[in-house]
Amino acid sequence: MRVNISNKGKYWCSSLLLLASLCSDGHAQPASAPADLWWAPGSGQMLPASVDYPDESGRLGLINTSGAIGTSGHPFFEALGTNGRACVTCHQPANAMSLALTTIQQRWQATAGSDPLFAPIDGQNCPDQPRAEAASHSLLLQRGLFRVALPWPPRDSKGNVTTPEFTIEVARDPTRCNRHPVYGIDGTRHEISVYRRPRPAANLRYVSASKFGVTPFIGKTGMLAAVDPETGKPVNMNMMADAREATLKTQAQSAAHSHMEVSKPLTADQLSRIQQFELQLYAAQRWSTLGGALDEAGGPSGLGPQNMANGRDGVLGNNTSNYVFPMEDKWSQLPAGNDAKEKERNGFRASVARGHDVFFYRTFWISDAMHINTVGLGNPIKRTCATCHGMHMTGMDTANGWMDLGTTNRPWALEPPESPWAKELPSLPLFKLTCRADLPPHPFLGRVIYTQDPGRALISGKCEDVGAIVIQQFRGLAARAPYFVNGSAANLRELVDFYDRRFNIRFTEQEKVDLVNFLGVL
Amino acid sequence: MGNPRFWLSLLALTAAGELLAAPPATGNRLSFVSCPIVRDTRSVPCWLSEYEGNTYYLTIQSDVSAEVQPPMLGHKVLVEGVVSAAPAVCGGIVLEKVRLSVMPEQDASCNTMLPADEHYTIDFNPRPPGPSGGRLAFDPSPASATAPAPAPPKGPQTFQLYFDFDKSVSFRHPAPLVSILEMAEKLHATRMTVTGVRGAHKLSNGNLLQESAGVGQRRAEEVAGLLLGAGLKIPATTTWIDGTPDADGVDDWQSRRVTVELLP
Repeated sequence: MRVNISNKGKYWCSSLLLLASLCSDGHAQPASAPADLWWAPGSGQMLPASVDYPDESGRLGLINTSGAIGTSGHPFFEALGTNGRACVTCHQPANAMSLALTTIQQRWQATAGSDPLFAPIDGQNCPDQPRAEAASHSLLLQRGLFRVALPWPPRDSKGNVTTPEFTIEVARDPTRCNRHPVYGIDGTRHEISVYRRPRPAANLRYVSASKFGVTPFIGKTGMLAAVDPETGKPVNMNMMADAREATLKTQAQSAAHSHMEVSKPLTADQLSRIQQFELQLYAAQRWSTLGGALDEAGGPSGLGPQNMANGRDGVLGNNTSNYVFPMEDKWSQLPAGNDAKEKERNGFRASVARGHDVFFYRTFWISDAMHINTVGLGNPIKRTCATCHGMHMTGMDTANGWMDLGTTNRPWALEPPESPWAKELPSLPLFKLTCRADLPPHPFLGRVIYTQDPGRALISGKCEDVGAIVIQQFRGLAARAPYFVNGSAANLRELVDFYDRRFNIRFTEQEKVDLVNFLGVL
Repeated sequence: MGNPRFWLSLLALTAAGELLAAPPATGNRLSFVSCPIVRDTRSVPCWLSEYEGNTYYLTIQSDVSAEVQPPMLGHKVLVEGVVSAAPAVCGGIVLEKVRLSVMPEQDASCNTMLPADEHYTIDFNPRPPGPSGGRLAFDPSPASATAPAPAPPKGPQTFQLYFDFDKSVSFRHPAPLVSILEMAEKLHATRMTVTGVRGAHKLSNGNLLQESAGVGQRRAEEVAGLLLGAGLKIPATTTWIDGTPDADGVDDWQSRRVTVELLP
């Protein structure tokens, strides 16, 4: 059931205030965003089998392959903890099951900050700051970042304290949490607070597929892979930014505790229902404002939510038999078009096709990137975007996908310039990590590393993992800005510009435009 | 002083390494530490290194499954190989049996990238992105896919794991570690001994290059811990040889190792 174009779905359109034009014509462009697409915990709405939401470049499509489900009583949609939040609070259907900064800001305005979204536990820069003040939520309101508190020193999978390869100091504490007497590293809770974006809870059949390159040992480091506690089998460790949770169930259990403040663990039935729901949900851009329908018959097989639902998971895309995002050259040789509208559409589609080719074929020198230049390919390597973003249909890495591309580590991480006249002050913490002298240094950053977020190293304790972040999926991007783990790219152009600077790619302006257009239709 | 123009020319040639460097004799074993050099080509980059005025070809960029994997700019590389009579590749003398190990400490002086030069081409067509007729790096080769199943193992089984200089477990080791796990199951192993070794190299200049003290212990403990952590439930004895190692300049890379013995 595709709600916005079917008679059966009209109740849905009205209940969600979707525009009349959207309900009457599945390919119509919404004139503006509906007033309120917020899905509140416990609202009890039906989630249709297929539904569209307006976003920055058209419409996001969401497909639930099990058919429409009632969300009343469903553990994904009900507030299970003490702070009024549900999973859906931070994984909103209208935002590709993630959470866009614009949605956060709208919610702040609509509720004067009283929504459970802004719960002190992680919706504030530090839990004991005044809840009613926007300044207490500045990272959430300005960059879409939630506080993630991790134990220090790290614990292994059995909860035992491990000895890290580095010491850590707080070099900058703008959130006043990492030097806090309770929440700080040396506080009574012995935690480190880092600030990260929520990842999409859709297309997780791909994200959690443990097929290619998954062994008991992590392919890039040789260390032990995490295992599914139910099966005892290794998993791909591709779900969270730091790969700290092995499965959808362990992630749900952990999130219930750390984000929803549940008083007791979720039941086996609740975990199974959450897992089942997440594995049947697919999100991708369905309609492009300039490019039209992305899921039309005969179109590229790599676009649209239905192709996501039909696609093969756990498949390497950058190889001899698959593309990452198959386009089949469908948009490479389009006619100019007969009228202005068709010309505009075909021109945009041609740009998307060129953007795909930039992603897939445009070589540049990838250098000094931990866990890509250190796995036998050499430093530098002359490759393409698809070298790292190689998973078929998602653009993630296929297994054990953490790398340091410089999004959080100096010198590449985006930081406002330090000067007496600066109008913008650094908003993220900065940590100084000193690696042990009796072990090899980080191959590119040496023994003293400054980072906004040590990433995987907060879990593994390994010096080589400092700033290494699991690659995210590329789907539904237009619905969930900002980007990167620390929200440092406000839009897709800034994302492309980051890579251009980081790897000295020297994209042409046309290449950047094409790449942005391509990413915007995924 | 003679003709000053002659001496100036000699000085220039010497600086360029084009006069004083004696061509190496075919079959000579070389072992040296030097900066790697990247030379771009129309297809993939090739990797070179200079030693005593000669330029040696090391390898090309290919894939993670390559037998010889490229080194890293920003680090020196330990090169071992035998001088070959093969035609130069990418402007470098070809080394056979080449073994490369990235030195762990950073060295900012190792930063030479040469542009593509029409004089230097390589006989290699890289696997293009996207579907093609090439072979997937991780796929088993047709030969191994059709090879007959090996006979059931009998008696103690020994495995050697080799390491980069001063390094412990890395991306090189998941496959051999999995092989050990599989063998332990087939063999119904009851015990395991893991021995880590601190290696050394006799370099071509006569110097002895030793790994750091303690690396043998670190390797042995890490390998044993990984195998046990992956579910191998047998008693393990961990030993190491961390004394002052010696070397003879022949396949010294094999000294950087861990030996795992499975006992039925």
